[in-house]
Amino acid sequence: MELDIIKDAFDRISKKQKLSSSKSQEVIDLVGLEVEQALGKIQSAHDLASPVDQKSILTDLKLKLNAIGPLHQLEGSQKELNINLSKYQKLLEKFLNPDISKAYRNVDFDFHIVNQIVAAHFYRQGLFDLGDSLLNEAGEPEATALKSQFLDLHQIIGAARVRNLEPALKWACTNREKLKQNSSNLELKLHRLQFVEILQKGTRTDALNYARAYLTPFASLHMDEIQKLMACLLWAGRLDSSPYHEMTSPTHWDNLTEELTQEFCSLLGQSYVSPLSVAIAAGVEGLPTLLKLANVMSAKKQEWLAMKQLPVPVELGKEFQFHSIFVCPVSRDQGSEENPPMLMPCLHVLCKQSIMKLSKSSTRTFKCPYCPAEVSVAQCRQLYF
Amino acid sequence: MDSLPNGTATTATATPAAPTAPAPAPPSSRLGHLGESLKLEHQFLRVPFEHYKKTIRANHRVVEKEVSAVICGVSDDSDVSNDDAVHHLSSLVSRLQGLKRKLEEGSRTENLQAQRCRARLDHLESADAENLSDWNNMRLKRILVDYMLRMSYYDTAAKLAESSNIQDLVDIDVFQEAKKVIDALQNKEVAPALVWCADNKSRLKKSKSKFEFQLRLQEFIELVRAENNLRAITYARKYLAPWGASHMKELQRVMATLAFRSNTECTTYKVLFESKQWDFLVDQFKQEFCKLYGMTLEPLLNIYLQAGLSALKTPYCYEDDCTKEDPLSQESFRKLALPLPYSKQHHSKLVCYITKELMDTENPPQVLPNGYVYSAKALEEMAKKNNGKITCPRTGLVCNYSELVKAYIS
Repeated sequence: MELDIIKDAFDRISKKQKLSSSKSQEVIDLVGLEVEQALGKIQSAHDLASPVDQKSILTDLKLKLNAIGPLHQLEGSQKELNINLSKYQKLLEKFLNPDISKAYRNVDFDFHIVNQIVAAHFYRQGLFDLGDSLLNEAGEPEATALKSQFLDLHQIIGAARVRNLEPALKWACTNREKLKQNSSNLELKLHRLQFVEILQKGTRTDALNYARAYLTPFASLHMDEIQKLMACLLWAGRLDSSPYHEMTSPTHWDNLTEELTQEFCSLLGQSYVSPLSVAIAAGVEGLPTLLKLANVMSAKKQEWLAMKQLPVPVELGKEFQFHSIFVCPVSRDQGSEENPPMLMPCLHVLCKQSIMKLSKSSTRTFKCPYCPAEVSVAQCRQLYF
Repeated sequence: MDSLPNGTATTATATPAAPTAPAPAPPSSRLGHLGESLKLEHQFLRVPFEHYKKTIRANHRVVEKEVSAVICGVSDDSDVSNDDAVHHLSSLVSRLQGLKRKLEEGSRTENLQAQRCRARLDHLESADAENLSDWNNMRLKRILVDYMLRMSYYDTAAKLAESSNIQDLVDIDVFQEAKKVIDALQNKEVAPALVWCADNKSRLKKSKSKFEFQLRLQEFIELVRAENNLRAITYARKYLAPWGASHMKELQRVMATLAFRSNTECTTYKVLFESKQWDFLVDQFKQEFCKLYGMTLEPLLNIYLQAGLSALKTPYCYEDDCTKEDPLSQESFRKLALPLPYSKQHHSKLVCYITKELMDTENPPQVLPNGYVYSAKALEEMAKKNNGKITCPRTGLVCNYSELVKAYIS
């Protein structure tokens, strides 16, 4: 975007604004001076008790003020400023999109739901007082359940950040089965960090006792890991200079809080990233395309409002791809249960309807549209993404 | 996009914020998107500029008015006594001094507002690939503050702005002006709204706004409600009649309430006495206010949210096994997206069921003998761990890595 041009235009405005301000000051000073002088003359004439030609002094003042033309002067500087002001506004309208609500559908957008979404967003970020404050101001019901879940999470993470793993371990222990189902070895990772921590700060005996108590249950599944940890015992107190120094890296702690959050949210049935952030980020990426579309369709307002599917694709980054969508390269149809993707023996994929068409309803073999292979319907098989 | 543990917020909250997840380096296409997304920021630059312009104009009007008053004040009437003349001139001098002080204060405000305009330009300029995730985070906060201000959740808006240190990037002070009017209208007082109309007379006239007329109609209705009929008629002569040329129908309808009175059962006139008319005035004011400052009529949050949901909405979002990472897996987002159209795809986008990663030429889709497809990366990993055996996570089928074939999706 032409930010430089806009900035230059703004600099011109602020220069003119300062100029106009000082011009006003100047004019006021000039007028003030004349009035004061006239005042002085009248007063001195009065003191001298001489015949006062008050009228001529005042007429003189009036003439002088007219000669200064204060209003004219003010107008001149203001005019220049005004020109620059309207130029700037035009620049903004030229380089930026002056109305991004053009693609907005005036459908029922329930603000109660939006409020709940925003409050949930605050809670998951640990901004609990903001969430409370919003629900309170909006007169929405409290989201106690959701809040307490995220309070737990932020307590666990907060403790882990100062290397207190107790709350995390307690949570992992209570949810052991569920974590196992997610094939997560978070609990072992927590114990490993705790063990290394003891090795660095405590005695060898402490570490050994810890290992006996907490690491042995993992032996059947994670023998390699535990053997490594046991070898660490040899360097108790000087792990930094051992072949195992990698174990002491602080990145383990950073990764841990991330993984903790991930597992915690997953068990809650929540996403790892705030859904509001995702939706807004997708909106920022998608809106330019939608605005272009709305512009093209501005003459067909009804069609725009009635459409069940957007007529053009809105390209989003891959972090927004949550679902497998198969588009048949021949018919451009989206795959569905009735029209699933089919793998041909040459390993190219088309949708079922396209294959039916090419084979004249399975009555004959056909050539793959992408390679010379000859294909019969019987050789094709359905794919599941 | 921010990840859940958001450590970037310099929050004043009691609970410590979780650490920031390391932001993945944005791919180069991101920068193209960035340029496009900056073009959406018209309101961000326009609102403080309108505010600045308004201050400049107001200050100028004051100077003009006062100076011309002083000039007109100098008269050479001969029948004034000497003392009177001295007294009069001294009052002019002190008037000028007062003006000068006012002007100094005015320029200070102007400079502050110019600074704010510049801060916003700088903020847009500061967006680049390295700080993109922080910058986007900040944008979400700005959008949230905008939403709360428009919804009149001023305290929360102020708290968020303060705790994130983005006061210069949001329009809290602009909305203070609106708050006064809205509060009064909610208390069924029109006076502040009328003052606001008078302040912005020329611009309202330019946009052919009939907001002032609507306020006047409401005041008239209130007089009729109070059975203050004579005053109502006087009021109508003075304030409603001038609008007759352009809004005769509405004027006539409201005048008829004199005959029907506030307890009427006639629906045409009954609605005019309902208290939701005041809510309507609040909405009307918000619209006029936004228009005047060059804001979108809808909160930015709604605009972006709707665009995002449109772009994300696919029939798959509404299936039971929709991944939790999709906002549309949540009931609240699904409800909002209900009236929106589905997105469209021209090309296949395949996401691995196991790793949730996009399958492309670098990580191609591999087909199991039963037709189920997973990414090469996921299957290689599985084979390595299980001596070359693959277990289909959805059907339980076990096969050898060597039985897989690569599918070509164009």
